[in-house]
Amino acid sequence: MNYKKYKMKNIIKSKVLLLVTLSTVLFFPSCSEEFLDRPPEDSYNVDVFYQTERQVEAAANHLYSRPWFNFISNVSWGIGELSSGNARTWDPRNADFTNFAITGQHNTLTQGWESLYAVIAQSNSVINTLPVAVNLEVPEEVVKNSVGEARFIRATAYFYLVRIFGSVPIIADNTEYVLQQVVPRNPVEDVYEFIKRDLQYAVDNLHDTTRGTAVQPGRVSSNSAKAMLAKVYLYEENYEMAYQLSSEVINSDEFSLLENYNDLFLESNDNNAESIFALQWTNTGRYAEGNAIQSYYANAGVTGFSDGWSAIGPSIDLQEAYEEGDERYYATIMEPGAFYPNINGGYTVPETINHQGTNVGIKKYVIGNPSTGGGSQSYPNNTYILRYAELLLIHAEAAIMGGGPLSEGVESFNKVRRRAGLDPIENPTIEDIFHERRIELALEMEFWYDVVRRGPEFALPFLANTERGTFDNDTTPPTVVSETFTPNIDDMLFPYPSSETQNNPALLEAPVPYTFDDEI
Amino acid sequence: MYKIPIKTENVFYRCGKLLFLLIFCTAAQMSQAQSRVTGFVTDNNGVPLLGVNVIEQNTSNGTTTDFDGNFAIITTRENAVLVFSFVGFVSQEIPVSGPQELSITLKEDAAALDEVVVIGYGSQLQENITGSVSRITSESIENIPQVSVDQLMQGRAAGVNVTKNSGQPGAAVSVRIRGVNTITGSSEPLYIIDGVPTSGEAGAEGLSPLAAINPNDIESINILKDASATAIYGSRGSNGVVLITTKKGRIGEGKLTYNTYVAFQRPTNKIDVMNLEQYARLQNAIGEIYGLDAQVEFLRPELLGPGTDWQAEIFDDALQQNHELSFSGASEDINYYISSSYTNQEGTVIGSGFDRMTVRANVNANIKDWIKTGINLSASRTNDRITLNNASNGIISLSLLNNPARAIYNPDGSYAGPVTPDEIAFGIRNPIAEALNIRNTIERNRMFGNIFLELDLTETLSFRTELGGDIGNNLADQFQPTFSYGALERGQNQVNLRRENNDFWILKNLLTYTNKFNDLHNVTVLLGQEVQESSWQGVTAQDSDFVGNEFPILGTGNSQDITGQYIGSSALESYFGRAIYSYDNRYNLTASFRADGSSKFAAGNKWGYFPSLSASWSISNEAFMEDVEAIQGIKLYGGYGEVGNQNIPNFAYGVRLVPVSTGLGTGFEFSNFGNPDLTWESSTQTNIGLDFSLFNSRFGTTVEVYNKVSRDFLYQLAVTDFVTGGSSPGAITAPWVNLGEMVNRGIDLSLSYNTLNSPVKWSSVLTFSHYKNEVTELLGDLVINGSLNLNDTDQNITRTEVGQPVGMFYGYQVEGLFRTTSDFEGAAIQFGRPFEDALFSTTWLGDVKYRDINKDGVINNDDRTVIGNPHPDFTFGFQNNLSYKAFDLGLFLQGSYGNDVFNAVNRTLTAANSYYVNQSPAVLDYWSIDNPNSTAPRLARNDTPNILISDRYIEDGSYLRIQNLTLGFTLPSNSSKQIGISKLKIYGSVQNLYTFTNYSGYDPEVGTYNQNALLMGIDNGRYPSPRTFTLGLNVEL
Repeated sequence: MNYKKYKMKNIIKSKVLLLVTLSTVLFFPSCSEEFLDRPPEDSYNVDVFYQTERQVEAAANHLYSRPWFNFISNVSWGIGELSSGNARTWDPRNADFTNFAITGQHNTLTQGWESLYAVIAQSNSVINTLPVAVNLEVPEEVVKNSVGEARFIRATAYFYLVRIFGSVPIIADNTEYVLQQVVPRNPVEDVYEFIKRDLQYAVDNLHDTTRGTAVQPGRVSSNSAKAMLAKVYLYEENYEMAYQLSSEVINSDEFSLLENYNDLFLESNDNNAESIFALQWTNTGRYAEGNAIQSYYANAGVTGFSDGWSAIGPSIDLQEAYEEGDERYYATIMEPGAFYPNINGGYTVPETINHQGTNVGIKKYVIGNPSTGGGSQSYPNNTYILRYAELLLIHAEAAIMGGGPLSEGVESFNKVRRRAGLDPIENPTIEDIFHERRIELALEMEFWYDVVRRGPEFALPFLANTERGTFDNDTTPPTVVSETFTPNIDDMLFPYPSSETQNNPALLEAPVPYTFDDEI
Repeated sequence: MYKIPIKTENVFYRCGKLLFLLIFCTAAQMSQAQSRVTGFVTDNNGVPLLGVNVIEQNTSNGTTTDFDGNFAIITTRENAVLVFSFVGFVSQEIPVSGPQELSITLKEDAAALDEVVVIGYGSQLQENITGSVSRITSESIENIPQVSVDQLMQGRAAGVNVTKNSGQPGAAVSVRIRGVNTITGSSEPLYIIDGVPTSGEAGAEGLSPLAAINPNDIESINILKDASATAIYGSRGSNGVVLITTKKGRIGEGKLTYNTYVAFQRPTNKIDVMNLEQYARLQNAIGEIYGLDAQVEFLRPELLGPGTDWQAEIFDDALQQNHELSFSGASEDINYYISSSYTNQEGTVIGSGFDRMTVRANVNANIKDWIKTGINLSASRTNDRITLNNASNGIISLSLLNNPARAIYNPDGSYAGPVTPDEIAFGIRNPIAEALNIRNTIERNRMFGNIFLELDLTETLSFRTELGGDIGNNLADQFQPTFSYGALERGQNQVNLRRENNDFWILKNLLTYTNKFNDLHNVTVLLGQEVQESSWQGVTAQDSDFVGNEFPILGTGNSQDITGQYIGSSALESYFGRAIYSYDNRYNLTASFRADGSSKFAAGNKWGYFPSLSASWSISNEAFMEDVEAIQGIKLYGGYGEVGNQNIPNFAYGVRLVPVSTGLGTGFEFSNFGNPDLTWESSTQTNIGLDFSLFNSRFGTTVEVYNKVSRDFLYQLAVTDFVTGGSSPGAITAPWVNLGEMVNRGIDLSLSYNTLNSPVKWSSVLTFSHYKNEVTELLGDLVINGSLNLNDTDQNITRTEVGQPVGMFYGYQVEGLFRTTSDFEGAAIQFGRPFEDALFSTTWLGDVKYRDINKDGVINNDDRTVIGNPHPDFTFGFQNNLSYKAFDLGLFLQGSYGNDVFNAVNRTLTAANSYYVNQSPAVLDYWSIDNPNSTAPRLARNDTPNILISDRYIEDGSYLRIQNLTLGFTLPSNSSKQIGISKLKIYGSVQNLYTFTNYSGYDPEVGTYNQNALLMGIDNGRYPSPRTFTLGLNVEL
């Protein structure tokens, strides 16, 4: 290769170089800022959402369902029904609720804690993000209504937490705490104060009524918030406020009792006139978007799917608590041979039904094969958190405890009894109210709180004497194999999950007063 | 011997013009005559040399010498020149004319012993390397029945710690280069295959991304270990970089190679569980505690047979077979390597398996003497059949716990299952049915490769542009049929599908300047620019409740279809440069710098900058060393560099809203907490190394020490569940943060021995790696807990805190058992449970007594402490090859010392608190009034503090494994030539021959749970590695 040739090649090369360089430079897609900017391509993010009225109206939708899933599906009945003695089980894990053996290690309880705080985290995100991120052209009342829904739901979650665990950390803005390891818990009174402020905001900012208006059925209204607030005051033993608020709800005429108790638990009657606040499930079949209660409550073969686990059975104690002729029994407990025309086009309970040794099954929340699709743990029927019958009993209790005119309270009380096909009681006592609440709300995961709020002097012996045993069917008639468990005062509250006390040892220290913002 | 072509290239570079001149001169004299030239080649000592390349210069005609050093070649031209070349020897050129017999003696070339090592974006002489690079050659990994190359790296390179996470065929392994560098994110290295990066991170199913590559297509593996070597990869170099180069055709006659093996895999050992008689005794005792009626059939346990051995049923001998066919060859201007392969591996756990087909074409050509181009392209299809393991409800766990009284099959051949109501309530599903009934497969199709153009612009300046791509498509299918096992029924069948496309492309432009001044100063400067984009999309679909199990086709089930879709992409843009200066082969200096812009971070944090500097001093090349004969090739080197890590999900800095269906319509759930300040994780590393050899280079030593500091490591910080919602549906995922600082200090040592010129050839390589990991800073003195779901409960098993290594086992210390009431005196109250004889909520005789660590008189959460260390004191590999004439023997030992394992399987097997669940025979020695000196605690109902995470379950995980033993026989070349082939080798090997260990589980090599650094060394029913017997054949035409 001689020098001249080499030089000539050099020239050619230079040209090629130029060409290649140019073409590659043109090919670089990178020189724009956009190349390195990759927002999500398959979902909204907060910077681009909340731009239209429709988007803002949907801002609280998820708070009515998914974050509640674990609490309602796995924990709520463990506490409300198993611990209270309304139901029993053999399943070793759930039996810990029955025999007061729950520790901080108990995964089911942890699920409840996590789920309620997931509700709070999601609510907080709406409450704190929406007003900042929203397009200013969206009317303020629309924004405030969505924030009101979120605050209503946040309050409901805290109300469960304070009743289950007592003193808990109040988190109003999660982003303040994500990097913080030690967060103190706050006193029970402060938690109640926080709940009341949330509900007051909801009372002030939600649509007055939702039933019979253009508002989508199922959303909470100002009256819903008043009803919830009345219940909170009852727990605080502020009977005047409880009475006043429940009266306002009654007088608003937004809600009314259904004629037939059994109709409350039909899928087609979701968001009926009696529903004050209910979780809004769907039957997409996707995990945690549907109501899973039927899977646990029903006996095998009812649901149309492979669930129907008969996980708990109505305790002998609950079965015996019903008065003769109480129509609610049929809508709550499945007796062998009973016929339910609304389940799967007509369902006769098998003679062999025997949930967990109780010789009966559960009817409440069992809807059979849903009318459209669904799947195991994915049913569309609502879960009641608060309904009008309970509000009437709150009204009655508040009146009996001196919060208002007794006669009106008694009338509310007897409205509930009459609907159940029972004779009215002229002078109901607090004991009658307690009994009525137990039966009216049986298996709606509420009884434990009613027992405990009466104080340990009542609750401890009551719980210790609740029959949690089974029937021995080898004898005729079957005899009771008695089982009772004695709680102690510490069992009136459930322990914090031990993973949490480990991550945040401040949970084991004295509660620290919460600093409230002035604006509510 | 496979290093020759590279070597030749190297000589080309070095001798440049001279060689060209020679070629041209001889070319001018060519003519058409042919003649047969024979002869033999020896070294200085007269020892025949095997595998010497004999090439007729300036042609593609060539051959190699056989065992006896003999060769025969028919020259194509009169007055041909034969070139004899062999690694480590000076090449010789012998002019020949007409038939003749030659006797050639090759002289050893001390300098030529150096190998060319592939470094990032280039290659360099081993002698001049300034960073830490380990090399694994294809010979050391050939003929081993492993489907994936990451597994083959185990024990072969110092500082590279490879553990298999599972014995499942095709499963991912954990590769840790020099310790653990980050807590979340992946600690897996970056793999660059022929210039195209691919992540070593396993997918959701724990399958290795490298399982798509046929290991026998690999020419060499170079592992860049220290930051001065990896800094050129900037943001993705912090876990080390593994450079994989695939084979090229070699100058010489075209070759056809066929390799095959058949392997037979067999489980190595079983875990001891109770037989039926022992089980019946336990049932009788626990049934009483549960208050259940006795099971009539167990009234006389001594009359019972052994019952069902569930382990024998789920483990089975399994076959593996492999076939590969490749063609390769080259002329002066073009080389090609074309291969195809098929591998099929059944798993030793029934229902699992893996198969793979690959094709590859590597072609490189010199279009002009200044234009080169080439393409490396491979396509593969893998099929995985997956079973669930390493989980409390995995098949292995279920088989250990399953009731030996229950048969596997009913008399009619259907699967048996629980029958009585008690058994249904407490019993366990039939794992055989689970394994065989549920169909879970993933088919992955992948096209992978690159194409390049390289221009020599001047003698000193070259430009290379390279376009690489990785296009994949995955089809995941899962079907759960309806079944009834005994009274247990699944009334609904269900199909889940995922269809996924991944696209990756990378474009590189490199400008390289190389020059030598005054024969002393060697300079290489590289400037580069690179952009890459990765995008993916997929759909998922579910349907269920089909009328039969035969055709579970989407849309034909009775329940609602569930569909989903995902789309995403990420991008990286980079600029980099490197200068290498070498003075007189004595002093070498390397400096590099890289700037990376990543889409993973918010504006303002997108760019990261990564510099490095390193130097080496080849002491042996100094004048004053000329007379020193005792020691050869001394090189001292050291470097410092900074690298980064950006291995986090997209848009971790912002807040995503995910749609959910509710009764009120679509809801928009907050999916995560954002962190706009999120920035690069950076790692700085200092490395100092020394190479030298003794005894005329027979004995070689490399020793390196390093200090690696990872700063701002990326971590998804979940402080408490009440802030995030924990693992609940609707929980808000914790934010990614730059959490703290971690240091890994260590030493890598490799010793090698090679015989020179003796008829019995022996070579050994011993690698030894030690690191010490310490977390030096965590945001706000956080403590990070590593937890895992064991038997439906989240258990905190490890703790990571400042001053300690990452992922230390954390729990209670056991003092013993409460054996008599006097033991209660003065004893600390445990978990608020009074000393009382009751079933629930008390502490009584036979319960475990835990140590009061903080001496506050009560046992609670605060009494937990570090109870074990999953990090080994050291790991080692010991490779030995012995060959004599036609025989070669390979022995590879590998092991780990000083690491602890948390045996979660044993925890479940000794819980002694459940009915209808099988246990370890050790449980039968439970405490009772009659057995106060028992080794096991009392039996219990439900969970009690006895099974808290404690040192009861910590075991020593040290092991020494005979990983591979191979005996091969190569037919002498004159015999093989007679049957028309140039090489024929038969070999037999045993993989995982024997493991020396005190560990009581299946296999002490536990790996990292889901590749999570917080969950190292936890055995939760891991799929054990089988013992594999292989018979193989290599044929070359």
